[in-house]
Amino acid sequence: MSNECLSQASLNLAEQTRRQFFATGASGLGTLALASLLNEEGALAGGVPPQLSHFAPKAKRCIYLFMEGGPSQMDLFDQKPKLNELDGQPMPESILNEIKFAFIQKESARLMGSPRTFRRYGECGMELSDLLPHLSTCVDDIALVRSMHCEQFNHLPGQLMMLSGSALQGWPTLGSWLNYGLGSESQNLPSYVVLATLGRGLPGGASSWSSGFLPSQYSGTLFRNQGSPVLNLENPPGMSRDVQARSLQAINELNSLRLDKVGNPEITSRIKAYELAFRMQQTAPELLDISGESKATLEEYGVDRKDKSTGVTAGFSGSYARNCLLARRMIERGVRFVTLFLSTWDHHSNLDSGLKRYTQIADQPVTALLKDLKQRGLLDDTLVVWGGEFGRTPLGENRVNFKTVTGRDHHPYSFSMWLAGGGVQGGQVIGETDEIGWGVAKDPVHVHDMHATILKLFGLNHKKLTYRFQGRDFRITDVAGNVVNKLLSAGAAT
Amino acid sequence: MKNRYQRTIVATLLLVGLLASNDLAVCAEPVDFQRDVAPILQERCLSCHNERDRRGGLSLQSAKMMKTGGESGSVIEPGDVDSSYLLDLLIPTDGVAEMPKGEPALSTEEITTIRRWIAEGAAWPESVVLEPPVLWSLKPLTRPDVPTEISATNGFSIRNPIDAFVSGQLREAGLESAPQADRRTLIRRLYLDITGLPPSPEAVNAFGSDDGPKAYEKLVDELLKSPHYGERWGRYWLDLARYADSEGYLGDSLRPHAWVFREWVIDAINRDLPFDQFTIEQLAGDLLEKPTLDQKIATGFHRNTLRNTEAGVDLELYRTKEIIDRVNTTGMVWLGLTFGCAECHDHKNDPITQTEFYQLYAFFNNADEVGVTATKPWEIAEHETAMQQWQPAWADVVAKLSPFEKQGLSDEQKASIEKSLTGISKSLDWKSLGEFYETMESGWDELKSKLDAQWAKKPAAPSTKARAFSKRTKDRRDTHVHIRGVYTRHGDKVHPGTPAILPILDVRGDAPDRLDLAQWLFREDNSLTARVAVNRIWQHLFGQGLVSTPNDFGNQGAKPTHPQLLDWLATEYRRRGWSRKEMIRLIVTSSTYRMASAANSVSSQQDVSNQVLWRQNSYRVSAEIVRDLHLTASGLLDRTIGRRGIRPPLPAFVTEVGRSVKWPVSVGSERYRRGMYIFFKRTVPYPMLMTFDAPDATVSCSRRERSNTPLQALTLLNDPVFYECTETLGRQLIEVHSGDVSKSVDDLFQRCLGRLPADQERSYLRAAFQDVLGLKENETLDEESAEDAKVAAMIAVARIVMNLDEFITRD
Repeated sequence: MSNECLSQASLNLAEQTRRQFFATGASGLGTLALASLLNEEGALAGGVPPQLSHFAPKAKRCIYLFMEGGPSQMDLFDQKPKLNELDGQPMPESILNEIKFAFIQKESARLMGSPRTFRRYGECGMELSDLLPHLSTCVDDIALVRSMHCEQFNHLPGQLMMLSGSALQGWPTLGSWLNYGLGSESQNLPSYVVLATLGRGLPGGASSWSSGFLPSQYSGTLFRNQGSPVLNLENPPGMSRDVQARSLQAINELNSLRLDKVGNPEITSRIKAYELAFRMQQTAPELLDISGESKATLEEYGVDRKDKSTGVTAGFSGSYARNCLLARRMIERGVRFVTLFLSTWDHHSNLDSGLKRYTQIADQPVTALLKDLKQRGLLDDTLVVWGGEFGRTPLGENRVNFKTVTGRDHHPYSFSMWLAGGGVQGGQVIGETDEIGWGVAKDPVHVHDMHATILKLFGLNHKKLTYRFQGRDFRITDVAGNVVNKLLSAGAAT
Repeated sequence: MKNRYQRTIVATLLLVGLLASNDLAVCAEPVDFQRDVAPILQERCLSCHNERDRRGGLSLQSAKMMKTGGESGSVIEPGDVDSSYLLDLLIPTDGVAEMPKGEPALSTEEITTIRRWIAEGAAWPESVVLEPPVLWSLKPLTRPDVPTEISATNGFSIRNPIDAFVSGQLREAGLESAPQADRRTLIRRLYLDITGLPPSPEAVNAFGSDDGPKAYEKLVDELLKSPHYGERWGRYWLDLARYADSEGYLGDSLRPHAWVFREWVIDAINRDLPFDQFTIEQLAGDLLEKPTLDQKIATGFHRNTLRNTEAGVDLELYRTKEIIDRVNTTGMVWLGLTFGCAECHDHKNDPITQTEFYQLYAFFNNADEVGVTATKPWEIAEHETAMQQWQPAWADVVAKLSPFEKQGLSDEQKASIEKSLTGISKSLDWKSLGEFYETMESGWDELKSKLDAQWAKKPAAPSTKARAFSKRTKDRRDTHVHIRGVYTRHGDKVHPGTPAILPILDVRGDAPDRLDLAQWLFREDNSLTARVAVNRIWQHLFGQGLVSTPNDFGNQGAKPTHPQLLDWLATEYRRRGWSRKEMIRLIVTSSTYRMASAANSVSSQQDVSNQVLWRQNSYRVSAEIVRDLHLTASGLLDRTIGRRGIRPPLPAFVTEVGRSVKWPVSVGSERYRRGMYIFFKRTVPYPMLMTFDAPDATVSCSRRERSNTPLQALTLLNDPVFYECTETLGRQLIEVHSGDVSKSVDDLFQRCLGRLPADQERSYLRAAFQDVLGLKENETLDEESAEDAKVAAMIAVARIVMNLDEFITRD
């Protein structure tokens, strides 16, 4: 017994010592960040920190196509014959009583059918609207969820919910959580990048890619798709690349002298940061240089498309197409999370023309992106997500000052999203809404469930990816979230 | 010097060996529950497994409860060690045991005791009911004795009790203290810690050559008198207050007068308003007897909450969210307790129930949000100046009116004209004015439009409204528990009150109000407030608090590294009348504060993370100070204190992402004001601030991260504001030193780093200068530009120094 005791005791102590050492570091996260920095340099073997990898990951990267404003699901993804039949009728009162609207006047509201025609496509026979002629050619790769639901019926709370799992400002967004959990894979680019095609602007501004209470290094970095892609990437006027290189050499020489003198390890990180910054200066502009892309590719995406409508930002369509292409180029270069915002799908009025315009902007390049990823073998481990913050009402919007009813109000109680790649089982539809598309009738998927599923695809258990803040262990799914197993392909479900 | 852990291991192994060899002997005497077992349960189990929390359904407070077991059934089978589940939970595998959760496993000795106790029948007298341990931070605050047997070592003299406590702990840990820092380091440290600005080369030299015995203390006094002190320490407070200049959420409308609160904070700290009064005014200034304007402005603290006014949003929901934030913030800022969990259910880790949460909520539920006129004298003066500039042109056009004037106007009518032309209406009242003039005459229309145009240019009189609280008198709201945190699901009705675990609340009137709450924080027996407050001061002078989780002194927070010192300081804060300046003076004059910060200042020292405080810490300055350093070193800094915020230039692609964000760039010297005055728009925060870890102002921030990223490098290298500083400095150097490179480099070092370069540093920079000069000359073949190339090379050198880690580090 004494021997057993002794060895057990020394093991305990060794373990305790090790734990104390890590626990007493300036901050656990610093260690994590350093680990990821070292990882990139190949100085630390092992990839994902072992304590954070919960399952075998299928997805390594994510392109999140965020459709800001709330696209209308019954005009795009979820055909409702009964709704068309009841066009102009009032809603059953039993439903109306419980519900809050942003703008609709309950008493005089009437159901509004959809003028769109739907057909079945692909081997799986997925039904899609005539507004998505391009996407309909790759339905066998996508999983369409018709039973999304949430409680947030206003834009920013809804967007924050979808992006960060909380309707309140100040939580980390999904891209931040993933980078916090998995570290960076890119040597020369930030690991969470944002590109925005702006209509009326984003309600949340930079909070749409905020790292919230996670350290700021996990925050998204806003990129431009023309000129100099990142803020402060360009040298000041008159500072040539050679001068910059010589300056960095001196900065590192002097920092190294200081390191020798005081031995503060933070200086090592500073030296490394400057090296990375210089590399980013060389490589990030190359990212935007699409002259090496084939003519066929540029045409597929529609980068040179002309904007059909007038009076809106010039080159809107081309800009979004360009962003889709850049998203592919980013993930090829190791960026882990790319969010492409397309604003604004908020069709309270003129729904028909608005949807036509926005699907014209998005349908072709998004489809081109899916096909391009697939052709390059990237779709297997790249998750693509398409969706807004909520859907739209089956009721026509009769806001007080509207003369005619031509659009739909916000509707979080049932809406559609789709996913592809990265371990998602394509060619299927998950969930159903009721006859008029008001509520979810089958297989409800809450936003928290979607987040749990996305983390699972990345090999993470949403209940274990936590961060201590204000005395509480926070996670993106708060106190909810169930993985939607149906979404996972056979390989990802294990 | 021996490894602390090694020594512990050796000692423990010896102990284990002894125990093992005495096993039989130990066995001879039966385990005594109260003597042997109860302390283990109390220390290691009861903070979760008590009657109140019953984690896993299990309470271990009494024999009866133990026998009942938990969700997994019974945990102890008296007399049957193998069937007792408790042991499975306690015995570690690879050093980690299931229980106690998240804590080090029980020692082998402790496990042996429990095993034997069970084997002997798990006797537990029925009358013995154990009490769960009291959280350390809730224990009464008593003044610890200052260790006296400590003597100075290694140049570490005991200057005040802080040193005695620290030195005592160092000795216990077998660690050697770092030597005292050199004077140049000390002055830069003091300047940065107290004012957030670097010392001028003149100040450094003067301090370096002042041999007077009180030179250091004199410097400290001088800095505490600087108005920049209020800025530096005010900014810490603004982090806690989640200060911003806009509302947040969609729309993110401006709060154009939020700065009035910021200015109040700076001023209150500069005049060293005692911390109790400072607190009372912010939580309940409006409830004081005959409150002054300043005391009303102070209540703006809790008006900094985010606000969601998106069209169609549930306004009552977001009103409740603001109040919840006020409760949480009050808890974290003053009590170091995180109430947040209790919004939806009883707190799992700390002794706060959901009912108690809503009792606190009730204090804030009847505070109305009001605007208080707070126009500043300087605003009035500014307006007067603007009026004087406007007046002559106005008088010119008014003079042209008289030819059109109708004949025979009465004095009354003339007075009416006078009134119209000197009024404050937005546009001129032609309806009434028109009657007095020949409006059909030629030239009238032209004159009328001239008058209108000049009138429109009339400077608006300032009307500044501070955001404040006032007591709700009509339609007072009842407060209910929100079941599961859903505000529409009312639970029991509750009244304002404080948590039972904390001292009792004295009530002045019929019902408790915010003033009672604020005063309650400073009751003699409220031990948390002083501990939390003094820990924050310490944190700002060492980079890390004695408790590293400044907003969480609860069960999930860190424990103090120096509990005795913390308590001594907490009692001292009270004794010194809650004077923040006095406490700062006390701490910075200690030897502990003055130690060198270099990680290698004692060779092969253990305690890499400096928990025992064998040296000062070295860390990057905060975001705003990064800017302040650049502006000061280049001489561009505008030192105006307080007032309105500023907007430095930003490229459109940054501001465009928000909805209709207007960003009119500040002009004149205002552009060079300190970082803390940069307008904080919550949905489009100024990128430089965020890159350097400024908080996003969504919730109270007690501790900023200190990241170290490539984006920081890019910002320091290329941000136009910073480049303007390097450019200015480079030009000045060439000019002042007539192109002498060595002299320029020396001056540059002194301005930026407060010291002269070492030979090698100087030669590295001279080489860089020559190389850049060569590159520049190659770039432009024009001979006349030789001087330009020199300037450009010196700018490059200035840029190098302003990108050094040391420049943005407080050592």
